[in-house]
Amino acid sequence: TEAQELKYANWAPPFHTITEAQIDPLASAFAEGTTEGASLRAFHGGELGAGPADQYVRIVQGTADMGWGLPGYTSSQFPKTLIVELPGALPLEEPGYAALWRAFDAELKSEFPMTEAIALWGAEPNILMMKEREVLSPGDLSGLKIRVAGSIAAEAMEALGATPVQLPMTQVYNGLQTGLIDGLVSGASVLSDFKLNEVVSTVTTGPNLGRLTFYTVMNKGVYDGLSDEARAALDEIKGEPISKMTEEAWVATADKALEEARSSDSITVNDLDAAASKAFDDALAEVTDAYVAEVGGEAALAAIQGQ
Amino acid sequence: MSPVLIGSAGFVLLLVLLLLRIPVAFAMFTVGFVGIWILNGLQAATGLLASETFALASNSELIVVPLFILMGNVASVTGMSRRLYEAAYATIGQVRGGLAAATVIGCGGFAALSGSSVASALTMGRTALAEMDRFNYSPRLSTGVVAAGGTLGILIPPSTGFVIYAILTEQSIGRLFMAGVLPGILLLTLFLLTVLLLCALKPSLGPKGPATTLSEKGRAFLGAIPILVVILLTIGGIYTGVFSPTEAAGVGAALVIVIGAVSRTLDLRSFWQAARSSVVTTASVMLILMAAHLINPFIALSHLPAEVSRMLVAFDLGTYGTLILILAIYLVLGCFLEGLAMLVLTLPIFMPVILSLGIDPIWFGVLVVLTLEMGLISPPVGINVFIVKSVARDVPLSEIFWGVIPFWCAMLVTLGLLVALPQLSLWLPGMM
Amino acid sequence: MRALHKFAEGLIRLSAIIGTLGLLFVVAVIVVDVVGRNFGAPLYGAQDLVMMTMVIVVFGGMALCGREDGHIVVDILEPRFPPRLNRAIDLVAGVLGATIFVAIAYTVFKSAQLSQMLNLSSNLLRLPTAWFQYALCALSLIAALALILRALITPRRPHPAQETS
Ligand code: NA
Ligand code: NA
Repeated sequence: TEAQELKYANWAPPFHTITEAQIDPLASAFAEGTTEGASLRAFHGGELGAGPADQYVRIVQGTADMGWGLPGYTSSQFPKTLIVELPGALPLEEPGYAALWRAFDAELKSEFPMTEAIALWGAEPNILMMKEREVLSPGDLSGLKIRVAGSIAAEAMEALGATPVQLPMTQVYNGLQTGLIDGLVSGASVLSDFKLNEVVSTVTTGPNLGRLTFYTVMNKGVYDGLSDEARAALDEIKGEPISKMTEEAWVATADKALEEARSSDSITVNDLDAAASKAFDDALAEVTDAYVAEVGGEAALAAIQGQ
Repeated sequence: MSPVLIGSAGFVLLLVLLLLRIPVAFAMFTVGFVGIWILNGLQAATGLLASETFALASNSELIVVPLFILMGNVASVTGMSRRLYEAAYATIGQVRGGLAAATVIGCGGFAALSGSSVASALTMGRTALAEMDRFNYSPRLSTGVVAAGGTLGILIPPSTGFVIYAILTEQSIGRLFMAGVLPGILLLTLFLLTVLLLCALKPSLGPKGPATTLSEKGRAFLGAIPILVVILLTIGGIYTGVFSPTEAAGVGAALVIVIGAVSRTLDLRSFWQAARSSVVTTASVMLILMAAHLINPFIALSHLPAEVSRMLVAFDLGTYGTLILILAIYLVLGCFLEGLAMLVLTLPIFMPVILSLGIDPIWFGVLVVLTLEMGLISPPVGINVFIVKSVARDVPLSEIFWGVIPFWCAMLVTLGLLVALPQLSLWLPGMM
Repeated sequence: MRALHKFAEGLIRLSAIIGTLGLLFVVAVIVVDVVGRNFGAPLYGAQDLVMMTMVIVVFGGMALCGREDGHIVVDILEPRFPPRLNRAIDLVAGVLGATIFVAIAYTVFKSAQLSQMLNLSSNLLRLPTAWFQYALCALSLIAALALILRALITPRRPHPAQETS
């Protein structure tokens, strides 16, 4: 039979962290772990279909065999997985992938039907990035227009008195420049990924604003149909190992972007201490509690927190 | 058959279907769907057909398409665009081709504002074509001007083309925007010269109007005030961050509707007709964009751009030889593919080559974005030409393609100047 | 046959009316959101409303667009083709277009079922994605019907170049 070529759908550009952190290791796992030559071929920049929001459906329908996406883009499918994204759900320094896999079998698996979960990981912690505004207390956010990625961040910004704005990421650069938005809440990697370091003037770290989460899934039928050898090669790396690698690369990209911001003359980084962060964290606790109650996620939260 | 051969066969089939007068969208859907079916199976093809049609139809940025058409339609039925063109005619109508020149400037301004070539061609097409027709301008000139002028949207900053290039190649958006300014002005100037030259050679393309007195000029200008107010509010709103360029389309449409209603130039019946015709035009434009999104994965799966590029770049042609070869590849691909998709398919192959040759990536970015602009009007798949056709239903498409040729040549001249004189692109960003 | 034709014409008109109302709704949503946001009270879920209504706008116009020969063609060779060939091309194009719209309707219908299973909805207002996918299916089928009618029954409009020359 012909050697199997698995298609990995990547909607980000080929230079994105995901390539080195996840696609390349998966490809070498197949290349090195099989003799009949199963291989992984990545299609970058949305070559197999544009929007990241459709990634899960794309895998289920077999347009691609494998691909990564954000639960937050189709939040209704992932109510419990998204608990990891909530402000304060996890301490900032605690890895997201470990929390996700802790809760996966018992609580989260049902949110991933018809696929095999390959990787689940978290991004670096969310921070506030502003143009010409300094945010040191929740009061400083009052009335400011803040770009948010999803409904959880929207509620968090409302709880802090800001006005949440939905805007495609490619329009954020111009939006900051014209004043359409005063700032955004996201991980530090967007500073380099979307060149926002050219327009952001202050950054606030410290408060627990949650983090984004990601998944990589494989079509269930394709996974079950892999040769024993190929499946063994994949199983070796799938789950926590590849998730850990990906998350660490993510955090490294973010750390680098934040370091560059610190050393840049045009950006001021304010690292709030525990006392200054507490005002934010207290205001956000209600958002987190309300969300968990709404989705009936008490058990999932406990599992995520390792209790 | 190898994927590359299948990809090439797809291009040929597309060309044949188009020449056989199969509607553009149907031809692209057919080639894209069948191609993906052959290369990646029926399941993948049906999956893409479903996800791309729904994703494009619910794309939050493409909402500018129906909104700007609506704005143009209402401005047209209320006579607002007529008054704008009367004011322009009173001012520069005595110059041969004066209105066409004014339209080029309008396209440039609108393009700079919206950042979108599609939006510029749609709005300017809806506003300008009928008016130029009224003043006996040849449709060949007027549609050519709008189709070509609309492409300025991706060269004059802020530009989506530069944002995507910057993200794909890790370059500075700010520097690219600065780099696009002088080339944008240069191209705009060459477009103006092209208009004047064409009309000097063939005066019937844009006939000279009668001389006007100062009071006639003043009266014409007063009549144009409502639409000028809309334009100023829309520009001002974007630059002060009151709304996004996408929302500006909705605000602009609302403003012309309100002004029309208040000034009683818009009754319920004509309003409804304007809105309904916007929806029909939207359908024809959006169907082509959806079909283009089926062609892109087909071409990606065929590995065609990657293989051809790799093969050609392997010839050692020196710095300028390689650069010119790469630009030539972009010009050819631009005949078939939608601009931004082309970047995704090719930049990963070209960037390492460009960097190893010591070519400045900012300069290269300007050159590439200009070739994308040319692709928007190159036959057979010239998206801007189709868009102008959608708002100028009575003008044969061949006429529009003939009309854009002089402007395409002006772009080629600009490309040559930019290649020969890197400073045109690099001087401004160097000052940052 | 005439009754069927009349019924189809009614569907085409209805589809365009729905699309047009959708477009006006989008204008209203954007204005309310922009004004509200600048006073600190944006319209909650404005983007959800705009995105989902856009589906109705885009596909609402498809049937009338087909009915009015609005789909763009490259007409360069048309004046040189014999009339019978042009007639045959019209027939093929109509059937091909109808097939494409039926295929879109069928595949999006399958996706809608998947959306229901995955519980997909818009992010803020939780508008079920499947509703809009089913709407797209229905409007696509009307568009297919319009193209078939156009190809089989109504005589074609002459090429503009032939008309004027
Ligand atoms: Na622009
Ligand atoms: Na083209």
